[in-house]
Amino acid sequence: MSLVTARWKSIAKEAVERAAIMARFLCLLHVTDAYLFSSTLVYGPSMFPTLNLAGDVLIVERVSHRRGKVGPGDVVLVKSPVDPRKTITKRIIGVGGDWVTFPVGPGNGDRSRSVMGCLGEAMIRGHCHLFLRVPKGHVWIQGDNMYASTDSRNFGPVPYGLILGKVFCRVWPPEGFGSISH
Amino acid sequence: MALRNIGLWAVEGFELAFSLAKFCCCIHVTGSYAMGPSMLPTIDLNGNVIIVERASVWLQKVSRGDMVVLTSPEDPNKQVIKRIVGMEGESVTYLIKPGESDECQTIVVPKGRVWVQGDNIHDSRDSRVFGAIPYGLVHGKLFWRVWPASRFGSMCNV
Repeated sequence: MSLVTARWKSIAKEAVERAAIMARFLCLLHVTDAYLFSSTLVYGPSMFPTLNLAGDVLIVERVSHRRGKVGPGDVVLVKSPVDPRKTITKRIIGVGGDWVTFPVGPGNGDRSRSVMGCLGEAMIRGHCHLFLRVPKGHVWIQGDNMYASTDSRNFGPVPYGLILGKVFCRVWPPEGFGSISH
Repeated sequence: MALRNIGLWAVEGFELAFSLAKFCCCIHVTGSYAMGPSMLPTIDLNGNVIIVERASVWLQKVSRGDMVVLTSPEDPNKQVIKRIVGMEGESVTYLIKPGESDECQTIVVPKGRVWVQGDNIHDSRDSRVFGAIPYGLVHGKLFWRVWPASRFGSMCNV
């Protein structure tokens, strides 16, 4: 009887040890993924030609945005302000205090004027442009492919707190390996 | 011999520290916040220790009436505590100038956003100032007050 109990005990002990190793590994993976760098598959037409339509695997670093070191020109991963489960990849055009201007189209005219508090309109090259100042603590993000991108021109400036990380380099497809161009 | 003892103690100390770190990892203990008066009288200005849980936020199970921790849209380095007064799609009516006039305004909370207010509407910078915030800024839900002992208990329906 005691032999059987002893055997079960040793099996249980080994199971707990293995589970502890697994838990430690997952902890390390989570901490690296959330606070150092992670890889993400991104797809969609809004960042063409910088990113491919079919999809790219990018390395995203999660250190700069916590230190306030992301700024205009950086491609960042952002939690979508309209659907919190979605992550979107866009380029920062302006930060708090900057002036941004964009042409008004049929999709975003009325909302832009009333909701975002546009401070002015101007006719530039025959098109109506709105210009506004990005509020403190927010960023203005746009996709490189202006014609197929839902971005700040649609949902307004995005709080800085929604930024998840800055894109560091592309690892897939292999032809595009390396830093993404400006 | 003494060197070996020191070595053993060092290993044991390191293992203890590592276990503590693993425990903290599991609970994801957050730091302390400098409290302001915006959540009086629910959370007073003396030190309160409250356990914040993140599962509800991740599973999108927060609703109107919950107190949440969120990153301030005005200063991304600040974490503030406010109460959710309206979820997406709901309409919220609020006093524009509480204490001075009875003028109200009603807005509908846009998709993907929540309307938050401090319990102390006279001294709180909240959605009445910066508008409905994206749900992605909400990080945790206040779950259980541990200190002071006189107010020990659940933070739901408080």
